[in-house]
Amino acid sequence: MLQFILSGIAIGAIYGLVGMALAISFYVTRIINFAQGQLMMVTVMVTAELASSGFPVWLAAVAGLACSCIVGVLSYLIAVRPILMSNRFSFGWLVSTLGFAVIVENAAAYIWGPTSQAFPPILNKISLPIGDAVLTAQQLLAIATAAILAGGFEVVRRHTLFGKLGMATAADPEMASAIGANTTVVAIVAFAVSAVFAGIAGLLIGPTTFANPYLGDTFGTYGFIAMMIGGGTERPVAAMFGGLLLGICAEGANALINSQASDWFPFLVLVVILIVSPKGLFSASNPLFRPRRPMVAGN
Amino acid sequence: MSTASDPQASPSAFGRPRAGLGRAAGLLAVVLAYLAATAYVAQAGLGFQSLVLVAAVFAILAISLDLVAGMLGLYSLGQGGFFGIGAYVTTILANDHGWNVFGLLLLVLVVTGLIGAAVGAMSLRISGLYFAITTFIFTLVLTVLATDMVNVTGGLQGLLGPAFPDFPEGLGWLGRPLAWCIMLALLLCLCLAWNVRRSPLYPVLLSIRDAEPFAEAAGVRTAAIKIGVFGLSAAMAGGAGWLFSFLGVVSPSQFDWSVSLNVLVMVLIGGINTTIGPVIGAMFVSMFPTVVNINPWLQEIVYGALSILAITLLPEGVVGVARRVLARSFGGSAAAVENIGPDVAPMPASLPAAAPGPDGPEILVECRGIEFGYGVGPKVLRNVDVAVRRGHIHGLIGPNGSGKSTLANVISGRLRPHAGEVLIKGLRVDGMPPSSRSRLGLRRTFQAAQLVKELTPTQNVMVGLYDRVPRIVSRAPFWPMLPSGRRDMAAMRRRAGETLGIVGAGEWAGRRVGDVPHGIEQLTQLASVYVAGPDIIVLDEPATGLSAKEVRHLAAILAHLKGQGVTMIIIEHQTRFLFPLCDRVTVLNAGEVILTGSADEVRAHPTIRQVYLGE
Repeated sequence: MLQFILSGIAIGAIYGLVGMALAISFYVTRIINFAQGQLMMVTVMVTAELASSGFPVWLAAVAGLACSCIVGVLSYLIAVRPILMSNRFSFGWLVSTLGFAVIVENAAAYIWGPTSQAFPPILNKISLPIGDAVLTAQQLLAIATAAILAGGFEVVRRHTLFGKLGMATAADPEMASAIGANTTVVAIVAFAVSAVFAGIAGLLIGPTTFANPYLGDTFGTYGFIAMMIGGGTERPVAAMFGGLLLGICAEGANALINSQASDWFPFLVLVVILIVSPKGLFSASNPLFRPRRPMVAGN
Repeated sequence: MSTASDPQASPSAFGRPRAGLGRAAGLLAVVLAYLAATAYVAQAGLGFQSLVLVAAVFAILAISLDLVAGMLGLYSLGQGGFFGIGAYVTTILANDHGWNVFGLLLLVLVVTGLIGAAVGAMSLRISGLYFAITTFIFTLVLTVLATDMVNVTGGLQGLLGPAFPDFPEGLGWLGRPLAWCIMLALLLCLCLAWNVRRSPLYPVLLSIRDAEPFAEAAGVRTAAIKIGVFGLSAAMAGGAGWLFSFLGVVSPSQFDWSVSLNVLVMVLIGGINTTIGPVIGAMFVSMFPTVVNINPWLQEIVYGALSILAITLLPEGVVGVARRVLARSFGGSAAAVENIGPDVAPMPASLPAAAPGPDGPEILVECRGIEFGYGVGPKVLRNVDVAVRRGHIHGLIGPNGSGKSTLANVISGRLRPHAGEVLIKGLRVDGMPPSSRSRLGLRRTFQAAQLVKELTPTQNVMVGLYDRVPRIVSRAPFWPMLPSGRRDMAAMRRRAGETLGIVGAGEWAGRRVGDVPHGIEQLTQLASVYVAGPDIIVLDEPATGLSAKEVRHLAAILAHLKGQGVTMIIIEHQTRFLFPLCDRVTVLNAGEVILTGSADEVRAHPTIRQVYLGE
């Protein structure tokens, strides 16, 4: 029981980070970046490549994050900005971000080949018993990092001018630029930050999955589900809660139903959640959490 | 409806027999060329054949998506799911249970159609991106089921599809029967989309997409149409799955979410809301890997780059851009056909005349004790009583935020009062949807004009005739092929053009609404209401944004309408325009009726002079 909850939280933290990454770029531009999983993959591949050619792991990781940052900003400049410039409400971004994901994924497969490569273990070799459960130090690191990033992001969003600028851009880009905000810069920063979130998720899960060019597909999908369950489209941090719920559901289904149940059980949860609350469980518009009508005196 | 099926309409429908004949000959030539191409494909080598047939199946899938995405704005990512249901149901029941494949086609169409209607019903609760995501998850769940239910579906390996029956003896020279079946199915789907685009249902569908309140107020049951069209689209996708099952192996990867996304990519690249665009997009996407035969990774990279280029350089898709180029080089000849000059015959006198009862005109619209409020916050309407008599123009004035538009929405049915009754012609209507009130003869305009920007004023006005012409929905799939369809279409177009001429917007009839000035939008709205010959019209600030000249013209139109016995409720701030027209005026302030009286009584009332007229 404790085991699957803990390992669920650990993997859920990864899903949550990818979900938050999706949510951060969605938050500012109102598009879903289908290349988000591939940004995570870029960090993993570059880090693995540099580490295996003898660089220290921390340097390799920083270089990996920098690379996914660059690719993330490129995805905005190439696949998102031209579409939003011509029509902010069209669905053209769907084609272009998907096209960008195809390019990045296949470029990686072309360079490194389609098979998995070694990834530095970081903290994966250290086991820590907690009660009657066992976690690796890497899993604990994932949980701690996710908590810090989610909390930090929320503080920045709410309490700094830049965060408020992001909120303004999210609500109405034309109004935001009318009051002097450079919405392009805001969007570029948001895409860079989202790439860093995805990249960090990659560094945390890399020692377990190893480096594979197709890693982005799986984690992109799970990150997307995490965002939808949580309602990250309205509040990025809600994607983290969605990710944790998703992780616990998947691990719980594996432990309690059968070893294949993690393939379908999370989707069942998702369908139920979307039927109850189409915009996500932790979103502001959830009917369960909507503020009640105050009683008017004398009515 | 008397005027739309007017027998006098026939001469004008056949007014240009030469053009009609030429068009029919052209169509016949296209169909013959298509059949010849099909015969060629049916005889061709297996490699080329399967390339074309797979592209054709995806073209059907893309058409099915365009039906809902292009015309209703419902971006469904569930097409892959319906496609998979069709293929799996066919394969499993034909292989394991020996069912007849043509019987299965019927079963597949019905089953996917019903599931589609259920998914479509969801679109009533969620829209836009959330609808796309929910249907996406529908596909995701189906893929997971197909992968995990190994005993039934064969898991990841999939199942070998059933064999398609051979031609009967004597028809063997035609080639491979499956090729004929798929190509004819594609032709059928193309015909369907082509016909719907040439029926009066098309502007109605676009108005549901872009201006739902307008469609509802014109008597369109928008929810039922959305569900119905979505069911049709799903059945089409299921039929594509039925066809696909004969082409080889059926496995989960052929129906997963990426297929749904690819179908949307096909539609967007080819040109959304065009008949031929989805086919072009499907050919590009499905033939690309075979035609560009290089290193698979490089090939994928080129594909990704091309799709980004296509969508950034041609945001309206291949067909959208081609159409724009053609329109420019042929100088808008299409617009000239629809343009109807201002010198038109007067409206036929088929409108119901005002018949005053024995003891003064009867009450036609009545509100009793209406209470309404938006969510939390103070009530917007408090115990509002208004009675409007037949043949009267009833003004509704009050400061901003006094509840005028809310009251108009309550009368027309967009809002449901918390308490109180609304009666139209003595019938209690609170709880009745706007579309049913339209059938009672009540029409309305909107403060911010609700129109389809990409259509012409004429087409927008035709939406107003929706519940005046019988069986628009059921005839739409065959519309241009039916003599009654061609006749009604010509009559509707003529009637719409005349009405636009009467309201003074005749010279704009052939432009797109997106290109006309604000005043013309207001007049188009008025025409779309007037064209149906309603008994009661609710006008929400009709003079907003009109020039002084246009306002005078509007006053003349409204006076003319009144002369025909139409009852009107007019919300307006410009009292100089309103008061001379009105029989009665009701003044609202902060959700309460201050006074109902004649214009002179209102002008003389001290509180109103102070509160509203600012004296």
